[in-house]
Amino acid sequence: MSNTNNECVSETIGDYVLVRLRGEVDLSWSQQVRRAILDALGRTGKVGVELSQVSYIDSSGIAALVEGFQSARGKGQKFGLVATSQAVMAVLQLARLDRVFPLYPDLDSARSA
Amino acid sequence: MNAAAPMAAAGAHERRALGFLAELSQNLALSLDLNDTLRLAVTRIADFMQVEAASLFLIDRTSGLLECRNCAGPVDIAGLKLAVGQGVVGRCVAENATQIVRDAQRDARVNANVDAETGFVTRSILCAPLSTARGVIGALEVINRRDGGLFDEADAEILHLIAAPAALAIYNAQLAEGLIEQQRIKRELALARRIQKSLLPKRRRADFPLIGVNLPAHETSGDFYDYFDLPDGRIAFFIGDVSGKGLDAAFLMVRVASLLRAAGKHAPAPGAWLEEVNAELCETLQDGRFVCVALGQYERTAHRVTLASAGFPPALLHDGAEFREWPADGPPLGIVAGIGYGEQVIDLGARALYLFSDGATDVRSAGPDRLGSAGLRELIARHSGLAPEPRLRALLGDLKKLSLVDDTTMLLLQEPTGKMAHTLLDLTFPARADEMRRVRAALRGALDGEDVAPELRDRLVLAVDEACTNIIRHAYCGGEGETIALHLAREQDMLVFELCDSAPAVDPARLKPRDLAECRPGGLGLPFIDALMDAWELEPAADGKGNVLRMHKRIRVEDG
Repeated sequence: MSNTNNECVSETIGDYVLVRLRGEVDLSWSQQVRRAILDALGRTGKVGVELSQVSYIDSSGIAALVEGFQSARGKGQKFGLVATSQAVMAVLQLARLDRVFPLYPDLDSARSA
Repeated sequence: MNAAAPMAAAGAHERRALGFLAELSQNLALSLDLNDTLRLAVTRIADFMQVEAASLFLIDRTSGLLECRNCAGPVDIAGLKLAVGQGVVGRCVAENATQIVRDAQRDARVNANVDAETGFVTRSILCAPLSTARGVIGALEVINRRDGGLFDEADAEILHLIAAPAALAIYNAQLAEGLIEQQRIKRELALARRIQKSLLPKRRRADFPLIGVNLPAHETSGDFYDYFDLPDGRIAFFIGDVSGKGLDAAFLMVRVASLLRAAGKHAPAPGAWLEEVNAELCETLQDGRFVCVALGQYERTAHRVTLASAGFPPALLHDGAEFREWPADGPPLGIVAGIGYGEQVIDLGARALYLFSDGATDVRSAGPDRLGSAGLRELIARHSGLAPEPRLRALLGDLKKLSLVDDTTMLLLQEPTGKMAHTLLDLTFPARADEMRRVRAALRGALDGEDVAPELRDRLVLAVDEACTNIIRHAYCGGEGETIALHLAREQDMLVFELCDSAPAVDPARLKPRDLAECRPGGLGLPFIDALMDAWELEPAADGKGNVLRMHKRIRVEDG
């Protein structure tokens, strides 16, 4: 991927894994995001995706989040979105998914949920 | 002045001096009221140096004279003024050098007048300049050692050291004052500018034939324009340029604009309209001020303009190829009372009439030369393919890139041609997902250029992105070497997005947006496009090789 502003980093905090995303999440690397989320769910039962640094997300990015949510739900795991940016929120609302995902303003509230 | 002895070898005298210096510096640095602090400082300096009198002189920035601001001692000389170079103090400042006058009675430098008036006997004087980055701002003077001795080099050195923190504190205070004053002026000018801006007419709907733009070169503008509807359905308009600059030109601008509007309400013939306002201005304008004005009325059904101009730059009529000039009918308003103004009738048709203040032709291009009328015509011709509003915007954009010397105001009178669409973006790119970032950025830029609100802009970008990725994934099925052509055009307030590919024809019937109520990962692209665009249609390309997806979105033009 030649766009150096995009980033997907998984951070382990105790029994919680936070997948931090940055940049514009689109088809060119949403597969990477998908794998990161599913990997995290494979390692632990509490996963969050940090979205404050995401300035753009398309349907494939949303799809990765949805897949994570459904996978977690199926296995009784916890999955939520942390500090969603304005841009991400707008798209979630458009896709009518803003009431579906658990949304947390910050890591602490996500972990204590 | 020799350097002071190193700290290690410093005697009691030096240590005392350093202690005093430290305390003085601290007091000055922490001072909230500098005047007060300086008053106390002068007293303490007198005590520390064991002198009978001490005084602080500062250069008054308006008069350029040295004025005694604070003093301590038996004679109050506060307010005493000296010219730079006059007396010991004046000389100290002029030479930026400490002055030692050992025997005042016999020294030619001393001004004996003060003693004569006050009865004080000046025996010995020491004066050190207050030096700052901006030069000498004043001086510190001490008179008569209390022990009766004469001032020596050691005393001079100490005074020199004491002067430094005082100079710094005063300098800082002056800088701060200057800054506050600057801010105040800035705020007032900004307010004046806002008021002026609020007096400009509101933008009208896209089918209104008049568009005006105003680019001030400074904080306030001497240019103005206005248009309003007349009871008989015609549109009255005027554009003007007040001579001079600054706040009073701005005030005059407001006044003239009001006069013109009031006089224009009863729809006088343009010549008479100018005469009415001219009469009023000749009576009351002073200081050689005058106003250049062009005005008239426009009849929409007949596409007819009646125009009159008082000293305004010639109106420019353009039919897309030829230019024709309409010079002024008389001198600017406010100069010759009772003069008659004629008027011109122009059958506009589909042509464009440009009225612009001389700021437009005075714009400097790369060199020192003015853009001139020829240069302006060239810019107009360059954009003649655009619809009126984008054309005026493009023209303004060009002028902004050059350097504005004066306020630039333009009025464009032209019937909007509904069919005239113009291209905002024309981009062909490889059909690959990693190209989309660049495409999105280009699209954002094009939409920003049309003043699309940020939330709408982002939604439109999303819709186009989805459409492109659909083409990449489903039409091309991820094949290599194919391209997508994105074309964005604007017709009035309608945006038309067109995506062309060269993939096998897609059966439109197979494209059905899914129900968003079901929570599934995929298939969100089409529902997004559906939700975000007013309408879309997919059809085979004209030459049968590929598909064309067209999406429409009406963007609202703000009314009022």
